[in-house]
Amino acid sequence: MKGHGLLTRRHLLAGVGAGIGCGLLPAQAAPGQTRFAPLAEEEALIAFGHVGPITDGGWTTAHELGIQKMKRVFPKLRTIYVETVPYSADATRIFRQFVAEGAQMVIATSNYGDFIKDVADRAPDVAFLECDGTRVTDNLGWYYITHWYASYIIGVAAGLMTKTNRLGYVGTFPVPSVIASANATLLGAQSVNPACTMNVISINSWFDPQAATQAASALADSGCDFLCGITDDPAYLRVAQARGLKAAMWNLDMRRFGPDSYVSSVVLDFSHFYIEQVRARLTGQWKAAGTFLTLGHGVDRDVWGATVPPEIAARADAVRDRILAGETPFRGPIRDASGRIRVAAGEIMDDQAIYQWDWAVQGMTGLV
Amino acid sequence: MMRFQRFSTATAGYVLVWRALAFVVAMGIVALLLALSGRNVGELAALVARSTLGSRFGLEDLALFMAPLVLTGSAVTVTSRIGLWNIGGEGQFYLGAIGAAAVGLFVHGPAVVILPLMAVVAMVCGMAWIAVPTLARAFAGVNEIITTLLLNFVAELLTYWLTTGPWRDRVTGALVSTERLPVAVPEIWGVVHWGFPVAILVACGLSLLMSRTSWGYEVRVSGANPGAARYAGMPTRARIVAVMLLSGALAALAGMFEVAGTVHRLQGGMSDNFGYLGIVVAVLARRSCLAVIPAAFLMALILDAGIVLQTQQLAATAVLAITGLVLLLVAIADELAHYRPVVAEPVRRSAPGVSS
Repeated sequence: MKGHGLLTRRHLLAGVGAGIGCGLLPAQAAPGQTRFAPLAEEEALIAFGHVGPITDGGWTTAHELGIQKMKRVFPKLRTIYVETVPYSADATRIFRQFVAEGAQMVIATSNYGDFIKDVADRAPDVAFLECDGTRVTDNLGWYYITHWYASYIIGVAAGLMTKTNRLGYVGTFPVPSVIASANATLLGAQSVNPACTMNVISINSWFDPQAATQAASALADSGCDFLCGITDDPAYLRVAQARGLKAAMWNLDMRRFGPDSYVSSVVLDFSHFYIEQVRARLTGQWKAAGTFLTLGHGVDRDVWGATVPPEIAARADAVRDRILAGETPFRGPIRDASGRIRVAAGEIMDDQAIYQWDWAVQGMTGLV
Repeated sequence: MMRFQRFSTATAGYVLVWRALAFVVAMGIVALLLALSGRNVGELAALVARSTLGSRFGLEDLALFMAPLVLTGSAVTVTSRIGLWNIGGEGQFYLGAIGAAAVGLFVHGPAVVILPLMAVVAMVCGMAWIAVPTLARAFAGVNEIITTLLLNFVAELLTYWLTTGPWRDRVTGALVSTERLPVAVPEIWGVVHWGFPVAILVACGLSLLMSRTSWGYEVRVSGANPGAARYAGMPTRARIVAVMLLSGALAALAGMFEVAGTVHRLQGGMSDNFGYLGIVVAVLARRSCLAVIPAAFLMALILDAGIVLQTQQLAATAVLAITGLVLLLVAIADELAHYRPVVAEPVRRSAPGVSS
């Protein structure tokens, strides 16, 4: 029993792993049935809905970089995008407008749930993709990165570098992707330093640099000397730099915002996925599916920061090598915040279980 | 000799003419800026027209935007009749959504029972949310603008807490929301649900209430001249309490329709600022309950055009700037409508000390 697809990108056809969650749609994506006619490159219109501005320096910039690389492969393709799509009925309106303007493929770079599914259900000829989604229908698929392995590796470095044994985490919403990120980081830290604890502050936004700065300052005030998080922007790295703390980031190489504090980042590369998906849509081969981009294939830890001691980097990278070789660090016993064993000794949490993680591990406060 | 003099009242005709002019000027400025940034203004305008008023989808969206805007606009308008400002529509909207979601999630029964119950519970929740500012205003003279505004943030955080904590969706588990409510407000035209006609009827009913009943008369007098109202024996304090509670209920009803008709899940951020936009609608409506309907229509048109412009690579902030420009010029136009040309009498100038 290994984690799903650690070495190769694995298409999880037909929904998201049998037996997890009864509410997931049955999602038999009618294998082999090509309902999407082939398209000439110059006729195609691909629309992107982003959760933040493409200049956020993080999550949305990472997607934009992937899109730019994709457009170099398909230079005649037309793309449009909308930034800062809210999680409200406005999202439905924007996706509907994409369809009305003739988009044959709509890609949301965040989880819009019903707001995108309602549009997809009424536009069966348009291919929809949702990052961090959970449902697969005939024309709606999802993709996500298995960022928890990169977070675990960075957590190992955090556990070795913290002096106070208190890690701070700038959270966004208590949703599974965030819970998985925080839990993985703390488990990585505890694997080398069992005394580590983590304090989380959620700011109810993916992109709110002011709130992230305030949260980071509060975490630093409470004694955390290593900051991590999952915000779209580099705000808390600046706080760490100003206060002489260490910080691990997300999305992109952000060392220029805090060269002394920068430890590493969960770096993302969506270009190969976008190229593959757009090509499939153009050739008429596109099928709705759930796809994980795995460690080394779309997500990884960044090159270690200048102030990370080489022996610590080596210890963390040894863990990375073991994960790349197929070993999973998410192995029981894993206890929740109340001390109860939630993953029995010897049991393994696979990617689907981690993707649905809704409880905090031992030593965590403020997460859920 | 002709000159312009400011009058204390502005006739509806003047206001309309000046506003139309303001709108044209605003569009002209926007067109000029877009042209300067290298965009094809004609094409954009045609696209906006086609995607809002010129298509079935666009009209459906306009109606969906209008339903909550009419209700939150009415909420602010009724308080303005008694001289108060309910800035807390956003919070009462969320409380209405919370109340409706609670009924939807935890009470089971046929839709004909559940939906009216949702509306009642939502309105009670909205009234409860404005109760403290109301009592503080009526009995202690505490400024209602501040108290209602500050409760907005509490309401939104309460929504986030409920939707990520006790009421969070444990089925798909990925959204910052509750489960999908099992009961929905029936759709009557495409995605347009009963919230739209109900909102229009509510606005019409409020207009009758304000203009044709002694209750409405007392509210208007209490707003226009509280001293005179008290001297005439009108129960000013009771009217303040009633109007503010009514206002809270109206904004909450907007939240109920949004959660049960449009979004189907309670979630943070679902309000789309309808509570705050209600203030804009009320300003545009100039304290007329009936004028709330065209004001909400204009606001809906701007919002819907904003969606279209965003897909044409205009940033959301640019759309916000356009909205701001329109409203700024409309406010100036409203002031200009108070001015009318008068012919000054030349006699007055040479009156004293002239003997001929």
